[in-house]
Amino acid sequence: MNSDVVTVQSLNKTYKRSQKQAKSIKDMLLRPMKNTDTSTFKALEDINFSVKKGEFFGIIGRNGSGKSTLLNCLMGSIRADKGSIVKTKGKMIRLALGMGFDPNLSARDNIYVNGSILGLTFKRIGLIFDDIIGFAELEQFVDTPVKQFSSGMMAKLKFSVAIHAEADIFLMDEFFGGVGDISFRKKSTKVFNDTFLDGRTIIHVSHQLATIKKHCKNVLVLDRGKQVGLGHPDEMLPLYSSLFNKKSDPKK
Amino acid sequence: MINTLLKPILSRLPENNRLERIWKLAQVDFKKRYYNDKLGLFWALLNPLFKIAIYYMVFTYVMDRGRENFAIFLFAGLLVFMAFTEAASKGLTIMKSKKYLLENIQFNKIDLFTSSTISIFLGFSFNLVAYTCFVLAAGIEVGSNFFYLPILLVNIFILCIGTSLILATIQIYLKDIKHLWAIIVIATFWSSGIFFPAEAILEKLPQAVYVNPLIGIIDNMREITMNNSSPNFSFILINYITSIVIMIIGLVAFKKFSHKAIELM
Repeated sequence: MNSDVVTVQSLNKTYKRSQKQAKSIKDMLLRPMKNTDTSTFKALEDINFSVKKGEFFGIIGRNGSGKSTLLNCLMGSIRADKGSIVKTKGKMIRLALGMGFDPNLSARDNIYVNGSILGLTFKRIGLIFDDIIGFAELEQFVDTPVKQFSSGMMAKLKFSVAIHAEADIFLMDEFFGGVGDISFRKKSTKVFNDTFLDGRTIIHVSHQLATIKKHCKNVLVLDRGKQVGLGHPDEMLPLYSSLFNKKSDPKK
Repeated sequence: MINTLLKPILSRLPENNRLERIWKLAQVDFKKRYYNDKLGLFWALLNPLFKIAIYYMVFTYVMDRGRENFAIFLFAGLLVFMAFTEAASKGLTIMKSKKYLLENIQFNKIDLFTSSTISIFLGFSFNLVAYTCFVLAAGIEVGSNFFYLPILLVNIFILCIGTSLILATIQIYLKDIKHLWAIIVIATFWSSGIFFPAEAILEKLPQAVYVNPLIGIIDNMREITMNNSSPNFSFILINYITSIVIMIIGLVAFKKFSHKAIELM
């Protein structure tokens, strides 16, 4: 049990959907004492799992099944209901490819800002700066505002910075190697598989079943906020597919 | 440019990811405000000069309310007022503009407010340089009392962080606080003694000094920079107490309620 870095027990998250609750000073003045309507919505219901150090843990589920809410609860950016247990050990970072790049700033500034956000000191960023630029193949564009970058260049740069992030636990929301053209995709997938995955604790939310199948030992399947399965991908992936058949959802 | 100026200091500081992040966010924020033009910093200096010129024209030529060195008298008040409102108002937008940070990394959210206030103070320091040039150009004797300035700056800093924390906390629940804040800003503008000396307010309403710390800060600012006399120490004491109380209220409220921010945004 000691090697568990993430422990989640009976996690519940309920959203209040009260429309009458005052959301402004105007409401408070015009319609005081009228927040009695309390319809609720259970976004997550009784979730239990744990993640060991160095494990690659997968979370799958259809759109709206509560995956993002679950990640938010893990991060602590959303507080779970009373009685839920969410324990995490060490620094956690959520890697999302769309994160925090400012179009008006140069590639250099963006690398420093994002590197710093991802837990790197300036000294460390200075040391790996050339690697990042080199890997993204953007040597000539270091001081160009990134708004002039093509979307491919942008994605490469974001990927190159993100794989240098330093943290104990990584939450990845649809983040995976495989951006840019074929040659970059190959290169990034290789770096991701060989270097990034090595020894890191990762919680991965994805619709790409191939990735889940390849790397995960344990997968959590969510459906409409409920935990429908937890186990080896060989058993979980068919279960996940059956969710679609049962409800005859046109997606996928 | 700021980086080159501060490099010798920064390179001697020990490595600390958190402090570096606060600094980088502040720097980038400052840079962005004046980014669209290559003459960015030039505008940072020109903006307050134009403002002061306009007010000066109105009050000396149109309304004929001139007193000795009235432009500088005005400048001192406006500088402090502008820094305060800009920094405090950041509290209204900061959680939204930095949402990606709140969602993606674990950090002390108060760092956001520290860095936004620092970014405003970077601009403020340019204004102070311009102000000092004006004072010297007007032939005012600048003496040792000028060195009391940091005491006032720290006080303004505390006040700004406290106010922006309170605004940010209310903003989570009441989205139209910005309209009320706009009214408070106007009230502050006219009650801080920007166009007239502090005595003019305090004669009629002595309690005002406890409520609005800017009255005392601006008055002291003028004392030490324009009159080369020592600051009013009872004002300093009162203003520090008020500002610290505001900051504590801000910190406690923010700690207690800010976890709802992402959910209600």
